[in-house]
Amino acid sequence: MKRTGKENKKELYAGKGVRASAAILLLALMAAGCSKQTEQPVESSKEVSIPIILTVDSSTGIRNEEKLINTFNRLYDGKWQADVEWIMETEEEYRQNLKRQNVTDTLPAVITDLRMLPSFYQMVIQDGRIEELSKYIEEDEEWKDMIEPSVLESYKEDDGSIYLGPISTAAFACSGIFWNEELFSQAGIEKFPETWEEFWDCCERLESAGITPLALHTEGTAWAPMLIATAEAASTQEGRDFMQQFYPESYQNASGLRIAETLQKLFQYTTEDAMYTDFDISYENFFSGQAAMIPNGYWMMDQIPEEWQDKVRFAAFPENKLISSPETFGWAIVSDYSEEVKEGAAALLKLRTKLNMEQREELFTGTSEEMIPAQADYIEVYKHNPELVPNYQVKWNSILQEETLGEILPDLASGKITPEEFTKKEDESIQQFLEEQ
Amino acid sequence: MKHYKKGSGIQRRYLKYTAALLGAALLLSSVGVAFSVRSTLTRSIVDKYEFMTERMGITLENMFRKSDETTAECILYDDVQQSLRKSGLEEVNKNALSKYFAYIDLDHVADYCYVDNKGNVYSRSYSNVSYDDVKKSGFQKYLEGDYSRTKWFWAKDSLFGTDNYALFIGRYVRSLDYAHEPGMMFFKMEEGFLNEITGISPELEEEASVGIIDEAGQLCLSAAPDDFGEKENVPDYIIERLAEVQGEGMVLEGEKIKGGVLSVYHDTDSGLSVFSFVPNRILNQGLIPVFVVLGTIYLVVIAVAVILSIYFSRRFTRPIQTIKEAMTEFDGQNFDKTIELHTNTELDEIGRSYNKMLGNINRLLDEIKEQERELRTTELNMLISQINPHFLYNTLDTIYMLARINKEETTMRMIQALSKYLRLSLSKGNDIVTVEDELENVKSYMEIQQIRNQDLFSYEIDCQVDAANTHVLKLILQPLVENAVKYGFQDIFSGGRIVIRIRREEGALCLSVSNNGTPIEQSMMEKINEMNHLPVTELKNCFPDKKRGYGVVNILTRLRLKYGCGAAFYCQAEQNGTTCTIKIPEEAREKSNEKNGERK
Repeated sequence: MKRTGKENKKELYAGKGVRASAAILLLALMAAGCSKQTEQPVESSKEVSIPIILTVDSSTGIRNEEKLINTFNRLYDGKWQADVEWIMETEEEYRQNLKRQNVTDTLPAVITDLRMLPSFYQMVIQDGRIEELSKYIEEDEEWKDMIEPSVLESYKEDDGSIYLGPISTAAFACSGIFWNEELFSQAGIEKFPETWEEFWDCCERLESAGITPLALHTEGTAWAPMLIATAEAASTQEGRDFMQQFYPESYQNASGLRIAETLQKLFQYTTEDAMYTDFDISYENFFSGQAAMIPNGYWMMDQIPEEWQDKVRFAAFPENKLISSPETFGWAIVSDYSEEVKEGAAALLKLRTKLNMEQREELFTGTSEEMIPAQADYIEVYKHNPELVPNYQVKWNSILQEETLGEILPDLASGKITPEEFTKKEDESIQQFLEEQ
Repeated sequence: MKHYKKGSGIQRRYLKYTAALLGAALLLSSVGVAFSVRSTLTRSIVDKYEFMTERMGITLENMFRKSDETTAECILYDDVQQSLRKSGLEEVNKNALSKYFAYIDLDHVADYCYVDNKGNVYSRSYSNVSYDDVKKSGFQKYLEGDYSRTKWFWAKDSLFGTDNYALFIGRYVRSLDYAHEPGMMFFKMEEGFLNEITGISPELEEEASVGIIDEAGQLCLSAAPDDFGEKENVPDYIIERLAEVQGEGMVLEGEKIKGGVLSVYHDTDSGLSVFSFVPNRILNQGLIPVFVVLGTIYLVVIAVAVILSIYFSRRFTRPIQTIKEAMTEFDGQNFDKTIELHTNTELDEIGRSYNKMLGNINRLLDEIKEQERELRTTELNMLISQINPHFLYNTLDTIYMLARINKEETTMRMIQALSKYLRLSLSKGNDIVTVEDELENVKSYMEIQQIRNQDLFSYEIDCQVDAANTHVLKLILQPLVENAVKYGFQDIFSGGRIVIRIRREEGALCLSVSNNGTPIEQSMMEKINEMNHLPVTELKNCFPDKKRGYGVVNILTRLRLKYGCGAAFYCQAEQNGTTCTIKIPEEAREKSNEKNGERK
């Protein structure tokens, strides 16, 4: 805009006036002896916080998945921050808390163990509580390529949607039996039994040597005894088929009965405190030398106390069977959070897949000298084409797992009810579950 | 009075400038202080209300958190969860659950209602709320949008049938395990519930309008002091301003709006905003006492400054006045009126200098009078002398002739010498003569003395300058020779020797008369030499008895008057005798000669 001289002159005078006023004001302020510091606006951090709750192992004090969290926070420093609340809870307590957090709308952005609660898992999908992840995985070739096809397939629902961030490989998702080599030697047993007959014989020999063969429990989903019983049931074709069923219609059949009988038999070889206790008691019994065997998955390698690492070995269940359902390791993203948080959570899940892949590569290309004996055993077992039996936790209804088993297993173990009655009560849970559904 | 008026000019100016300076300083500082104090105090007062508003906001948040925890407990309560299951609750448990809600950890619950997913309603036994009532109330819409978050909403009570507006706390109740339809629970809160929020800052309630408003702009609670006018009691434009505010926490921190200052704390969880509105009247109430105090301080400062200015101006101008009076009143006669000042300032020095000046003037006047008197005498003598020389010379010629007739050789020589001496002393009337004439004169004198004192002394003249063309003040050697004969040879009768030397030395003409007689006394020598450092006016006072030293005083006075301070006369006692030297700087001598119209 063109300006006239007059305007400029006016401006000049105005400038003088302003300067004079400013000078007077400055003098006035000086005379008043006042000074006010200008508050500098603090630039707020744009780092997005991703709330997560993870557990601390009550026995070892080890923070589960700490390496993942540290790596993530280092890699995405300034952009995302995994804000972890570390809690000392059993897995069962953690899972029950998930339900409480859901109904009170206080779920963290990333939740784990969801697949261990089948009905709850279905419910959160139905209520739109967790994020459908195929949009992240399918569009990210790099992520997708990290996942073994069979693993990815196990994560897909019938309609192809994926609600859980998958791990890379099933290699670390298998459960077998950890056994105490020292106690076995004391009983004159040099190697882990390869058949179920040998297994029962092994139990007899251990007991004869004054050693409690098994560390078991009845609470939670009766994880330890159920692993052995379902692996044993899969030794027949009928049993294998039964274990493949999702929400079996009845347990009053040969396989159901066989599982019940096996469970009853197993509790003859366990500790006295196995009733009405959870897995943590079994863990304590095994790592205190009070029991010679405990079934569990690869993830327990990190929980083996250092002084026990040379004594503890790993073996497949008899007849070269491992219990495996890689989808139980999936982590979910809660839908309530903002897109920024969910994007960060997806990046965390992808990193988890990547670290899992790197771990497999590292472990399977390493030498057994770098591993503890149990790890070397695990690799050896996994390399010998074990038969993978699905995890009952992802197949059976939640009422049976979370309520019924805990109630009827002690009765079965103590002989108060027969295996037939046991299966009947299992079927009642199916009815109850169907009603609730 | 006249003098005071004349003398008060400096004071008036001093006061005028001091008043101007003081006025400017006070004006600027008062503007600055007023500006600063007002802004600081206003900020401080606003901060107080802002802080109290924030406290209310935090209380609101805490109360919401408390309600959230309490309703969460309700959701997780076994019977509540059981009520959501297919089997539902047995009748006895239903009754128990209805009562359960009456004992939850939440104060100010006016009424409650829980409806499970099968249409069973759990409420107070007298409430008589049916499932239809719940549906018709439309309260479910407040819960929608979130899975099971605690909701606070301000609504007309269409659920419990009172139709009055109240705060309700509602929440979906979902099953822990199964995807059942959710239940709903509603708590109607008493007015005291929200009063707990505003009641956290009772002092605020006494000075400001406080209130709570929901996101729809509904005023849930408001309170104002009794003395507040209608315009101060939450005007409509405040509601409109509140509706525009976004964010959480302290969203308005003492914002100036029409009529006052507004502070707002917004809690996103409850959706409520707590606000305080402080009218300008209240803000100014806090400022007035401060400004009164400030004003008083300034008045005191001004009064003290004026008094001190007058006092100091008087203190400084009074001595000046005294000096001025002394000067103006000095009539040239009275030299006794001196000034006595004790101000410890430069004025004391001025007073002392004035007194000294007065003394000098007095002395100079005396000297001038004396000189005038002497001058007149001299002039008289001169006139007399000028009248008689012919008579004197003729008389001397007659005496000379008589002596010649009588063959009185000595008399003849003496008359010749005297005649020559007198001719030089009296002739020409000029005080500057050539060295040659001066030597001739002193030689005549010495011859007379030699005749008078047979064999007493001999003399020698060593003139190293051009005597015919070098001019000096006349009759300056004769007194020295006279002193040599009179004092130097006072103890001898023969063998005396006088040496007269004239030479140039270090830019000065030096004329010295040495004798080999009795050396000059040390005290006398020092006294004579000291005279060179005295003012001309004081030289005559050096020998008050006038019996001795007349010649020296005469020589030195004449030299100083003629050639200035550079001219000197000093004596030096030696082992055998005394040397007296006259030093005349060449430059002064030449200037003097030029003044006398003589060529070098």
